[in-house]
Amino acid sequence: MSNKGSAYGQAAGDTDFRKKYDLDEYAAKAKQREQDEKEERKARWEAKMAGKKYYKPLDGSETLTTARNATQDMSKMVGKTMLVPAGAGVGKRGRGAGFYCEHCDLTFKDNLQWLDHQNSPQHLRAIGQTGEVRKATAAEVHARIELLWEREQEKKREQVVTLKERLEVHKEREEKEREEKRKKRKELEERKRLEREEELKKKTDYGEDVRIEGEHDEDDMMAAMGFTGFGNTGKK
Amino acid sequence: MTKTETHRADERRFLDERGSAGPLAPNGLNPATIMEKAVRERIVDSYFYKEQCFAVNEADIVDRVVEHVDFIGGVYGVVQKPTPFLCLAFKLLQLAPSDAILEEYLKFGGEKFKYLRALAVFYIRLTRPDKEVYTRLEPLLEDGRKLRRKGRNGTSLTYVDVFIDDLLTKDRVCATSLWKMRKRDILEDLELLEPRVSPLGNIEDLLEEEDERIKEEENRDRYADDSGSVRSMTPIKADSSDNMDVDDLEDRQDRSP
Ligand SMILES: [Zn+2]
Repeated sequence: MSNKGSAYGQAAGDTDFRKKYDLDEYAAKAKQREQDEKEERKARWEAKMAGKKYYKPLDGSETLTTARNATQDMSKMVGKTMLVPAGAGVGKRGRGAGFYCEHCDLTFKDNLQWLDHQNSPQHLRAIGQTGEVRKATAAEVHARIELLWEREQEKKREQVVTLKERLEVHKEREEKEREEKRKKRKELEERKRLEREEELKKKTDYGEDVRIEGEHDEDDMMAAMGFTGFGNTGKK
Repeated sequence: MTKTETHRADERRFLDERGSAGPLAPNGLNPATIMEKAVRERIVDSYFYKEQCFAVNEADIVDRVVEHVDFIGGVYGVVQKPTPFLCLAFKLLQLAPSDAILEEYLKFGGEKFKYLRALAVFYIRLTRPDKEVYTRLEPLLEDGRKLRRKGRNGTSLTYVDVFIDDLLTKDRVCATSLWKMRKRDILEDLELLEPRVSPLGNIEDLLEEEDERIKEEENRDRYADDSGSVRSMTPIKADSSDNMDVDDLEDRQDRSP
């Protein structure tokens, strides 16, 4: 069992060759570079005239391609996309309505087309990527599992905390509601008690007498007017 | 300095190699044609595959499983959408992870993330020789964790061990035809495999106990007063109340919840 290499038995040989430079070669290289740049300008111009896209050929300075939003490279994709407001123009070339790729100067009408473009060799070349992805070793896989597990545990702990908090809030609210109800019940009882007392008072005022309709009307009226009875005024 | 070992970010070259001299899986199959053409096409056309499986390596696979896989299955819904599980299995066919990495998926990762284990056992069944499939999958038949499964007929419940059992006994799982392995007893006769000792004990004994339990239950029904301790003595509980798919009930072993 090997950590590296394909299980399908692909050769994993070292294909690097030691490069030897001498001054002549160095000069030749510089000349070559000049020539290349000239050709690139020409190719760009021709492509533009023909209404075609120009793709820079690979030159060895490209970086490896990495997965979107993978744990280790969260920031890689940020700032690479730009949403252009609708009505800014139509057509695929140049800035337009939809998803605009500034590297390739192309606009795409929906996210599926956009995604296809992001994955295309042309786009990868434009952003200087090879379209090759580094293989992970078993140790790296192990470390990633550990990292993700830790992250999941952290999430769970946070959830427990928020759950506890929510329970706490819920409890408080219930407590308040109960208190409110208790208060209302007490008020109601108090009111009823007062009413009962009032009732009782009236009864004591009249003693055990059974009121006869109209009998005490005069007294009541006098009482209401401030008199308690004829003759009492004289005593004062 | 040694050259960094790489994969292609996309599947183009992988699929171009089908039928030609592409590297074969350890079981001798061409990994590019293990899944059927129609299924492969659905996968590479799916949004999930394009977005989440591009430029992914063996470590990123774990990210994707943790983030996106909460059910197993092949294709589902009216449009027969491929599941993230199936898309990632297809990606594994391309990545061809080493045995050491598969061990990480199965054991260290599999203990923590049950869907990672499910993905690894599926992939191993597709690409490894039969002897290896038995020896690597059977020890995991003790894993009774629940799995959700989505298929053409909606969502159902299964278990890691039942899924592994399906992989060992069925012809077709998760929209993929499984290559025909030699039966276990044939490999035993060829002395390629040791007889398997079930964690529950000898299967013959279990069956005998089951017979006895049924007899005792009949007796109990006859003498209604005589109930009581009979049930608690029996190791196997009746599963008739379980409303799972009929094919899942086959060979289901007793498990504690
Ligand atoms: Zn682009």
